Amino acid sequence: MDRLTIGKGITRSETLLLRGGESRAWDITVCSGASLSLVIIALPGGVGKIDCDIAVQFEGEGGECQLKGLYLAGGSSNVNIKVNIVHNWPNCISRQLFKGIVAERARTLFFGLIMVPEKCIGTEAYQENHNLLLSDECIAQSLPQLEIYADDVKCSHGATFGRLGDEELFYMRSRGIPLDEARRLQMVAFAGEVLEGLPEETVSEALTALEMLV
Amino acid sequence: MAEKEDILSGLANAEYSEGFTTDIEQEFFPKGLNEDIVRAISERKNEPAWMLEFRLNAFRKWQAMEMPSWGHLTIPPIDFQDIIYFAAPKPPKKREEVDPELVKTFDKLGIPLHERDALSGVAVDAVFDSVSVKTTFQKTLAEKGIIFCPFSEAVQNHPELVRKYLAKVVPPGDNYFAALNSAVFSDGSFCYIPKGVRCPMELSSYFRINARNIGQFERTLIVADEGSYVSYLEGCTAPMRDENQLHAAIVEIIVEKDAEVKYSTVQNWYPGDKQGRGGIFNFVTKRGLCRGENSRLFWTQVETGSAITWKYPSTILRGDGSLSEFYSVALTNNYQQADTGTKMVHIGKNTVSRIVSKGISAGQSQNSYRGLVKVAAGASGVRNHSQCDSLLIGDKCGAHTFPVIECANGGAILEHEATTSKISDEQLFYLRQRGISEEDAVALIVGGYASDVLKRLPMEFAIEARRLLSVNLEGSVG
Repeated sequence: MDRLTIGKGITRSETLLLRGGESRAWDITVCSGASLSLVIIALPGGVGKIDCDIAVQFEGEGGECQLKGLYLAGGSSNVNIKVNIVHNWPNCISRQLFKGIVAERARTLFFGLIMVPEKCIGTEAYQENHNLLLSDECIAQSLPQLEIYADDVKCSHGATFGRLGDEELFYMRSRGIPLDEARRLQMVAFAGEVLEGLPEETVSEALTALEMLV
Repeated sequence: MAEKEDILSGLANAEYSEGFTTDIEQEFFPKGLNEDIVRAISERKNEPAWMLEFRLNAFRKWQAMEMPSWGHLTIPPIDFQDIIYFAAPKPPKKREEVDPELVKTFDKLGIPLHERDALSGVAVDAVFDSVSVKTTFQKTLAEKGIIFCPFSEAVQNHPELVRKYLAKVVPPGDNYFAALNSAVFSDGSFCYIPKGVRCPMELSSYFRINARNIGQFERTLIVADEGSYVSYLEGCTAPMRDENQLHAAIVEIIVEKDAEVKYSTVQNWYPGDKQGRGGIFNFVTKRGLCRGENSRLFWTQVETGSAITWKYPSTILRGDGSLSEFYSVALTNNYQQADTGTKMVHIGKNTVSRIVSKGISAGQSQNSYRGLVKVAAGASGVRNHSQCDSLLIGDKCGAHTFPVIECANGGAILEHEATTSKISDEQLFYLRQRGISEEDAVALIVGGYASDVLKRLPMEFAIEARRLLSVNLEGSVG
């Protein structure tokens, strides 16, 4: 378990790259007025399972935490992402966006808990989890959870499961783009929201990995 | 306008108006649960050997099980040996008559046991503690081939149907309370709609707990054969008491090809007092099976009562192209707890489900939505949309959302969204400055918030549900 504390008023960005078989657990504390932006990218390949466990808590008011994640799972890989955010101080903000592309016989699990204890008013917590399923043999699970004990809060979560859009594929193919390329482009667009703003080498590694799933 | 006045007058006498007891001669089985009690219930109902075997089998399963604890609930220990498992009003002297005391009781609850013209739209099966006391319009319905009768009567008169469908959706070992119910269930309704018949009136079951220390274990089985249609309503109330009482029911629904079933519940068990004393434990297993192609099952529930509610009306979508919808409003106030939601299991191709859940928590209550949307590997073309909203009134209550979404097919499109918020000060201010009192304003806002669900209820139920919402919110603001 790694510990990470973002001190008072500090703004910090982190990227976490996980390849097949790697596991990480982070225990993060965001102090008052601090802001953390963390991007987690789980890449396919290798054997074994990827376990990523993120726990976030606050230490003082006005902390902000943004988590983004992209998990690409193919073959018979197994990806588990767990996020546990405890809004134990008032007036803190958290935003989560996790996207997964699941192919072949892969299994993925996204578990995200937002917990707001009593008296932690002014909390804003948002969470999104989107899954793109590319085969009929894969299994994707999503457990977005809200546990809220304070009334003056804004909390939401959303989860979706879907496939590549037929109309979009047709649009591209009717313009001479080969099927595989059209599929790849759609997947890139899907992943783009998480990848934007990341260093170039990370993006290109993610895109190469993505190509393996097409 | 009339409806609004209804709300206002409802607010004025906000006590739990169904909390009276009926003074009537009743006979009881001794307290406690063992094989002899199970045998005695079966014998009392003059059941065939296979039914007794079914009960005993369930009882043995139950003995080997432990009470589940995964709910987001604090349940005081239940002493199953301290419950009376069978209580019935003494049978009237003339067979066809109903005790006038009972008629009065149900009249007071607004449930007519006479087949009056004015209310000819609804056929009622009235269950009092462990037995069904009257089922109306049986003859009218029989003309169309519809069977609507107490469960114990169905075991006698239609054993082949009961045997064919019983426990096909909820097996006896399904869960702790389902096993308990399968062992000791006393009465409930049985309903069979034959092929191609559209049921001409609403069918309804009304459950009333009266006696002290009893548990009510109802069992309802609804079968809609090919191309048929039925709308089913369920209501329930209990007297005000300081001790908790257990209600563990099973509702099974089987929907064949092209058939449609609407199942609406207004659950108004005694919720306990303001300090959280007393109230009903409502631990219910409700499940429907969309067996045939293009079958449709609609659940609508308004949950305002019970000290603890623990139930998940669910649908197994097995037939290709079948459809199920779940609309729910769950209101908890004072020290009430609710852990409720639904399960949609998509097995057939091109099956569609929709979930709309509105939770409202006030006082010191805890209100959880728990749901499952599962898509099996072979189920292509599945579509689901789930929406779970929670409204918090006051800073001591809790609202929780625990959905599980599992997809094993690349062709499915599933969406889930949930939000949590409180009544905004702006909305309240807007209404207050127009001279509406705070409580009425809250009732109006909550009514609007829940209207998506309420408007799907049959008319009589919708009015009742609105009244219950505003009554149960009494004292939750300020």
